[in-house]
Amino acid sequence: MLNKLFKHEMKANARFLLPLYLILFVLSLINRVIIGLDIFDGALAIIPRFSIFAYIVSIIAVIVVTFIIMIMRFYKNLLSDEGYLMFTLTVESHQLIISKLLTAAIWIVSSVLAVFASLLLVFANPDSISEIWYQIRLGLTELDVIFKGRTTLLFIELAILAIFGLIHNILMIYLAIAIGHLFNGHKLLGSFVAYVGISMVMQTIISVLAAIVGSIFRESVTNVLSLPNFIFPIGIFTILILIVLYFFATNYIFRNKLNLE
Amino acid sequence: MSAILECNSLTKKYASLTALNNINLSLERGRIIGLLGPNGSGKTTLIKLINGLLVPTSGTLKIAGNLPGTATKKVVSYLPEKTYLPDWMKVSETIDFFKDFYEDFDEKKAYEMLDRLHLDPQKRMKTLSKGTKEKVQLILVMSRKADLYCLDEPIGGVDPAARDYILNTIISNYNENATVLISTHLIADIENVLDEVVFIKEGSLMLHASVDDIRTKEGKSIDTLFREVFKC
Repeated sequence: MLNKLFKHEMKANARFLLPLYLILFVLSLINRVIIGLDIFDGALAIIPRFSIFAYIVSIIAVIVVTFIIMIMRFYKNLLSDEGYLMFTLTVESHQLIISKLLTAAIWIVSSVLAVFASLLLVFANPDSISEIWYQIRLGLTELDVIFKGRTTLLFIELAILAIFGLIHNILMIYLAIAIGHLFNGHKLLGSFVAYVGISMVMQTIISVLAAIVGSIFRESVTNVLSLPNFIFPIGIFTILILIVLYFFATNYIFRNKLNLE
Repeated sequence: MSAILECNSLTKKYASLTALNNINLSLERGRIIGLLGPNGSGKTTLIKLINGLLVPTSGTLKIAGNLPGTATKKVVSYLPEKTYLPDWMKVSETIDFFKDFYEDFDEKKAYEMLDRLHLDPQKRMKTLSKGTKEKVQLILVMSRKADLYCLDEPIGGVDPAARDYILNTIISNYNENATVLISTHLIADIENVLDEVVFIKEGSLMLHASVDDIRTKEGKSIDTLFREVFKC
């Protein structure tokens, strides 16, 4: 059933994002051509200005819409009237959360990739690409020196941190929405307050944890190798615990405290 | 034959309000049952409990012997009082959705009923009037081959002609093992199709009896009896 939920959720998101990606792609092409032409003098200079303005707006739109859709799909589909449908399907509530989470993560990553690809499409040429390559390889060699050959480990850890961090942020928003939904009326305000509350509690806990780790391992914290060796692993572990916590808290609210109007 | 729905001391309290108070109720299979009571009497709360949208404060509720959960959702077809279909979907897409998530959904039957009511499957939900949306929802819900149909105010928003068709649909579309639970306060309109009635008032069960018994013993129509029991 999870794959069916996932399929429908991807479709529900695609109807907003695919047209936006298309607009972004078209505007990228237009800007590439206009920048290459360089023939707009005098009053005509308005054309490249306008096209670059439209392009920037489309980038912002892709990012903002991706973010808003993540919130709207969770709230509207599960906790407004549509919730009567979703919570009486022959699925478990945790499958609803997972399908939303996976879909949101995939669309966020694709939106970032789409923006990145469009920037290359507008600005890249053979010279700049080889320059970028050169700089990346230079950076990698320097990192290898600093981290004494532990760069691969470092990158694996960074990748895990990025993925877990993304999942953590989405689930934190989901939990805040679920908590806000417990209020009768002022649900939006409740969600917002819940989000601020969760952030503050978690930041306090993380600061305390960091202080403790820092004082125990005072010697090694100043060593750059401590990043891949234990600071990142501790970070990954902490985020993982938070992910599990948020997930089960949201699912608990859905199972026991559902408050559909 | 075992009961399709069994409530034991079922109680649901909200923060300041007891919505259902110690309900003991057993519904048999193969009946059309009216769940009747004034506004705020607990009808919707009972139906939400049956569908697992609420959790009882105390007591138990079992559907075909199971506590509400994925297993019971497979055998309960629920029409809420809300318009709950995503408004961006076409009618045909809502049919695909039901087909994907309910094994007992009969696509052919759904299209037949749409055709009878002259509803275009290619229309988007958001372009339909409120009454038409309700018709689509009822068609979807009645196109499942469920054991228990829970219809919360199914005829409130539709015109009398469609009301007759819908009631006919309900009567002719459930099998002898299935029970239809209809919550409404439009009693006169559905009185003729009911086998049994359940009266609830302020969260308490007032009466559970067969319509024939009421007619022979009390010599009254359900509508008259309701007006007497719930006299303000």
